[in-house]
Amino acid sequence: MIQSTLIMLGIALAMWIYARRRGDDSARRGVNVGWQTLKRTLLLLLIAFAIVGYVEVLAPQDLVRSWIGPDSGLRGVLIGTVAGMLLPGGPYVVFPLIAALYQNGAGLGPTLAMITSWAALALLTVSFELPFLGWRFSLLRLSLGLFAPILVGLLGWLAFTG
Amino acid sequence: MKRRGPDRTTLFLIAVVITLAGLAWLRDGFPLVVDGLSGGASELLQVTPLLLAAFLIAGLTQVLISRDVIERWLGSQSGWRGILLACLGGALIPGGPYVYYPIAGSLLHSGAGLGVLVAFVSAKNLWSVTRLPYEFALLGPRLTLIRYAATFLLPPIFGVAAEALFGSRIESIREALQ
Repeated sequence: MIQSTLIMLGIALAMWIYARRRGDDSARRGVNVGWQTLKRTLLLLLIAFAIVGYVEVLAPQDLVRSWIGPDSGLRGVLIGTVAGMLLPGGPYVVFPLIAALYQNGAGLGPTLAMITSWAALALLTVSFELPFLGWRFSLLRLSLGLFAPILVGLLGWLAFTG
Repeated sequence: MKRRGPDRTTLFLIAVVITLAGLAWLRDGFPLVVDGLSGGASELLQVTPLLLAAFLIAGLTQVLISRDVIERWLGSQSGWRGILLACLGGALIPGGPYVYYPIAGSLLHSGAGLGVLVAFVSAKNLWSVTRLPYEFALLGPRLTLIRYAATFLLPPIFGVAAEALFGSRIESIREALQ
């Protein structure tokens, strides 16, 4: 945890120094964009972590394990895929929830399937795709994209047995 | 990235919190309701330094990578080269779906091939550089590394597959939108 934090802070600092050296105000603007994003998403973050807190105290480990546990196999990967498609919100909402499920007994395969499926197939995102690229494109991309979470999930399940 | 104000997602998530709090109350009364909230708060506090770094990195990336350059770069690209460039562009382009879909739409209108478009959207979905800091901060290095490694080849494969299998349909996709 401390290591990850240091790595991230190091990257942020390096980027900030690079932006400063460009001398075009991009360092200040970059920090400002980050700050605005944080302000805009703070409510969602608080809500997401309230859900995480309840997932932990309600400890639905048996439930999680039986649906998407390490032994749930292809079924778990498919459930993870469908769950990922339905997850609403940006990364700061979805990732804490998936992390909480993972800590409460979800297997690696279904967890990877869920992340990948949210990233590639989230239905809420498709609603942005339709007006710009049309349903023909969406259908085509989704039918190809459906392979991603299933493939990754099965890979995670087989390679790491869980 | 969401717009300001309680949109549908926010309202839905608030409903989820209330439902979970209700379940906690039914199981163990008010103390468990408080436990859930304080547990969530302490989790959030733990990742706060990481999150601050993540927001900073995402903000700087957005400023340092210009959308215009990527758009100009990918206009009317096709073939292998186009697909690989589209993957790179998709990985680097900052912003949420209401930013990159309009760009994808303008690429479609300026004559990009189907493979290029599929590669662009898939790379944004699977390789996104601006999402990487959040994934790293919130899911941890192990899950993030395995996930990026496992999906590393997919955007170009999807692009090539789309071009090979359905490439000829691009005109009907373009016409349907006009």
